[in-house]
Amino acid sequence: MSQINRREFIKALTATSSASALAIPLSACAGPGAAKGGSGKGKVVVIGGGYGGATAAKYVKMLDPSIDVTLIEPNKVYVSCPLSNEVIAGHRDIKTLEIGYDGLRKRGIDVLHDYVTGVDRAKKTVTTQGGKKLSYDALVMSPGIDFHYTGIEGYNESMIEDIPHAYKAGPQTLLLKKQLMAMPDGGKFVIVVPKGPFRCPPGPYERASLVASYLKHSGKTKSKVIILDANDSHSKKGLFNQAWAKLYGWEKEGLGTNGMIEWVKGAEGGTVTKLDAKTKTVSSDFVEVKADVLNIIPPHKAGKIAADTGLVGTDGNNMVKGWCKVEPMTMASAVDPNIYTIGDSCVAGEIALYGNPNANFDMPKSAHIAMTQAKVAAGAIVAKLNGAPVPEPYYANTCYSVVGDDYGFSVAHLYRVENGTFKYIKEGSGVSPMTMPDKSPVPPIYRKLEAEYADGWLRNVMADAFS
Amino acid sequence: MGHQYHRDHYVRKSDFLMWLTHFFLEERMRNSALLAMAAAVFAATSVPAAAANIEGLARTCNNCHGTGGVSAGHSMPSIAGLSESYLKNLMMEWKSGARASANMTRLIKGYTDEEIAGLATYFGKQKWVAQAQAAPADIMSKGKDVTERCETCHGATGGQPDDKDTPMLAGQWAKYLELELMKYRDEGFQMTHKKMIKNARKMEEGDVSIAAKFFGAQSK
Repeated sequence: MSQINRREFIKALTATSSASALAIPLSACAGPGAAKGGSGKGKVVVIGGGYGGATAAKYVKMLDPSIDVTLIEPNKVYVSCPLSNEVIAGHRDIKTLEIGYDGLRKRGIDVLHDYVTGVDRAKKTVTTQGGKKLSYDALVMSPGIDFHYTGIEGYNESMIEDIPHAYKAGPQTLLLKKQLMAMPDGGKFVIVVPKGPFRCPPGPYERASLVASYLKHSGKTKSKVIILDANDSHSKKGLFNQAWAKLYGWEKEGLGTNGMIEWVKGAEGGTVTKLDAKTKTVSSDFVEVKADVLNIIPPHKAGKIAADTGLVGTDGNNMVKGWCKVEPMTMASAVDPNIYTIGDSCVAGEIALYGNPNANFDMPKSAHIAMTQAKVAAGAIVAKLNGAPVPEPYYANTCYSVVGDDYGFSVAHLYRVENGTFKYIKEGSGVSPMTMPDKSPVPPIYRKLEAEYADGWLRNVMADAFS
Repeated sequence: MGHQYHRDHYVRKSDFLMWLTHFFLEERMRNSALLAMAAAVFAATSVPAAAANIEGLARTCNNCHGTGGVSAGHSMPSIAGLSESYLKNLMMEWKSGARASANMTRLIKGYTDEEIAGLATYFGKQKWVAQAQAAPADIMSKGKDVTERCETCHGATGGQPDDKDTPMLAGQWAKYLELELMKYRDEGFQMTHKKMIKNARKMEEGDVSIAAKFFGAQSK
């Protein structure tokens, strides 16, 4: 035992300490020119190249370059959903939201532009439309969300070219922008919000704010932005209402108010049940609104491949219907220890909206949380393939909303795992202040800083996930 | 040396890991046989539990501050290679409420003092990567003048902090530096460093972004 090589050293080290101490020496070896693996230590396949999947692939490779990593994603260019509301309002070029996969390739990750058609959990293989069959030791499932196009009478998927959802960024974003720009003064821009959980909880309200900002700046001040919401409350509600009052004349909830933005909650008729597509008229039990621009955001569910793989809850079991349940320590699926379900398709924590009296705060469906989930999964996978103990998981979220010129705010969430369950850490969480501690108004610099940070955040999450 | 790390002498896993990590970083691969022996001895005594994971915690910081703490821009600061002491004080001031932040004051309150110290150590050990952002010649020459008062503590290019509590400015993101100066200059924003507050408020309004661009353009 006079000499050992690097691999034996790491093996000895990981036997005691896991990725914790391992990460330092190994990360120094990662990056451009890193070995593509081939030691036979393990194969990781990642389904979905959004923020979650890209981050998982990158961090597995970075933590242990000897693991083979394949990322499967149909699109060659990813378009960030975060901050795509700025594109709709004409404040941002969509090109700033686009990024490819060359950064991941340079790290030695195989990026396969293909579509997964099936996962064989018993044989641990993934089959693609292109005819590939890949085996895995660990599979990361990060397909994002799919829409339910049912639930509104008269509405179906074929209508999205006329009635965009713009809730997956790309052509839909540009379509909604085009419709907004063409809307005459005095027009009604109507946003239909589905029952939660949906991705980007403050998204519809940020969208309303930025549309109002566009209308205000373009002199279309007789126009209205009407939010018909299936929910009775929403993310950062106090902050949005405060900003709307300051910037867009918000007075109170309900239709027919003087402000530019009107919000109708579920209990007051916000739950849209019917559409007349020809006239773009939406209605509920209590209200009927004829839109000039209609933006229906359909209800969400986990991406199809997660459902096809048997990872999502159905009626009659204890999992949330339509979503993937996870093991808090590792992000492994509650039904398959070899599959890690991360990002918008999973439910981490209990969802209050489903009537569970013990519900804690579930993690919001955000790019940021998807990335911290991906890092937990990556750490757990690398530890497992090295025979090391599970590393302590850390989950954090930051989510910025930009609502007007030099006006932004955020929410932060922190979670730990205690006794095998998610624990929301209240002390490390919360929204931007509504007032200062002495009840004086928040100085404008706070809102300006957070509007600036939103852009810096975007640059960093894109780089941290994709390059 | 091997017997020195016999199981009977080690009850605390974290002490052992700290030594192990330290040993590895400082001594590299020298004496690796002894190290492997020590690790093997420890392996036999360890009980299954979640492994301490300060790097895992640090990875959550990467979302906003860049992979390994090297920011991709432009309102978010790079934190890799800032001094451990500066980082620790900053985070502890946010935690205590002594210093304001638009957002960090919220997240940081959820971390223990040990985690904060661990993060400061971790990012303090990383290499500073200057992001030299080219600025026009007139900005550079005006910048040299308007940053004269900064020199005493930060050095001529902002790259020679005179003590461990003074942050590196050379090659930091200019937008971030400009926003920091705004914070120091705004009476409604509670900052902690008296000398810095005084000097920032002495600057002419129009010089703020010039100073920020001047430091942002430096490579060392």
